[in-house]
Amino acid sequence: MNENQEKTTHFGYKTVAETEKASMVADVFHSVAAKYDVMNDLMSFGIHRLWKRQTIASSGVRKGHHVLDLAGGTGDLTAKFSQLVGDTGQVVLGDINSSMLKVGREKLHNLGLVSNIDYVQMNAEALPFPDNSFDLITIAFGLRNVTDKDKALRSMYRILKPGGRLLVLEFSKPEHEVLSKAYDFYSFNLLPKMGELVANDSESYKYLAESIRMHPDQDTLKSMMEDAGFEQTTYQNLTGGIVALHRGFKY
Amino acid sequence: MLTNFIVALVERILNTSLKLDSTLIDKLEPVSHKRLLIDIRDWQQQFLLVFTEQHLHLYSTNEKQFDCMISGDIDTLIALKNPAMLTQLIRQDKLDLQGDLNIAQGFSNAFSAMDIDWPEHFSRYLGDAPAQQLWQIMQNAKRQGLVTDKKVAATLTQLCQDELKVTIHPLELDQFKQQTRQLKGQVAQLEQRINQLLQLH
Ligand SMILES: C[S@@+](CC[C@H](N)C(=O)[O-])C[C@H]1O[C@@H](n2cnc3c(N)ncnc32)[C@H](O)[C@@H]1O
Repeated sequence: MNENQEKTTHFGYKTVAETEKASMVADVFHSVAAKYDVMNDLMSFGIHRLWKRQTIASSGVRKGHHVLDLAGGTGDLTAKFSQLVGDTGQVVLGDINSSMLKVGREKLHNLGLVSNIDYVQMNAEALPFPDNSFDLITIAFGLRNVTDKDKALRSMYRILKPGGRLLVLEFSKPEHEVLSKAYDFYSFNLLPKMGELVANDSESYKYLAESIRMHPDQDTLKSMMEDAGFEQTTYQNLTGGIVALHRGFKY
Repeated sequence: MLTNFIVALVERILNTSLKLDSTLIDKLEPVSHKRLLIDIRDWQQQFLLVFTEQHLHLYSTNEKQFDCMISGDIDTLIALKNPAMLTQLIRQDKLDLQGDLNIAQGFSNAFSAMDIDWPEHFSRYLGDAPAQQLWQIMQNAKRQGLVTDKKVAATLTQLCQDELKVTIHPLELDQFKQQTRQLKGQVAQLEQRINQLLQLH
């Protein structure tokens, strides 16, 4: 390969310069932030709520814990964690995108959740925290947007406390061919169309569909987590593998 | 996932009751942030119950961490409504309790003060007929033991075909259908244009 060639990465199905991806991803989420929650419910028929419940049920979170909800967007998980860790705990809602953080902050504020939540703009690849800071890190529907996933996983490993765990909730590979086909049709044809009609933004939702396909499958992600240092790494398929919940520990 | 769905519904109903009766919050205060793990042996399901300031959280889980764990068949757990049975059930090995028993006691005190009309609540969320059916099934399941996800799945699929209202609002569905129809129209137009182009060449 040509040494001078610019490093490239995937933006959905397009190949773009690595330096560009972050800002293109940012554009996508700037443009969907306001309608994000409505679209989420509509696109997944509300099932994303159950996927998120499963994440919390697998988190082992309790009073006093320090939690990072990475790529936390509009803060669905943060809301629950904030209640469960109580006044002696702390939740950081971290996202690269200021518009998403703003929508999240407003939403949580309206829910009356204020005392133990911090809002911090950050890039998953270079997390601005000392080593061994958190009992739990979650990244829900966020990892596929990250340019250098290995780097991000290593960064998460570094800031977890020994005994802490990482949960990755992400679209994955459906277990059955038929489901896989139906899902393809849904996400490539209907999803962008719904994006256009509701959020007036089909390009962004086309990107979402494509980025889902480019994301590593269950076993690939599992070994990526292991390479980053995580132990006892397992995954659980949800809704036939449309989504998978990966879990790994730092010891 | 379907267990999850029902658990979510039960959690919502519990919290609605909590809002209606503020004395319950005082009753639960002593067990605040304590994790009660309820292991229903014959259902092969575990549930985690936590109360935080204003909310009850209920999850179906495989986590093994708890402050208090209570394990037994569903009938045994129901029999606990009568606290006098406690020692007897433990001696008969029908019931296992670990951790801080005050926690189980605390929850039990609060819940016995709750008077929840479950079928009524279910019908509010699910519509009347499915709610009745679901309730019936849960009653039967209680009698027959083992609630498998499959059984619940089959029933719920059936319910969905009838009039389940939770997953998606009819208005949304209408909108969605309309949009799909539009989409179909546009695709047809596109096809026509392509055909025209092909004919030109
Ligand atoms: C699909 S949203 C998920 C939001 C939320 N976790 C949920 O499940 O509803 C993805 C989020 O990832 C954020 N994101 C994308 N790349 C990121 C990066 N490199 N570091 C941190 N956050 C990132 C986006 O700004 C967006 O808010």
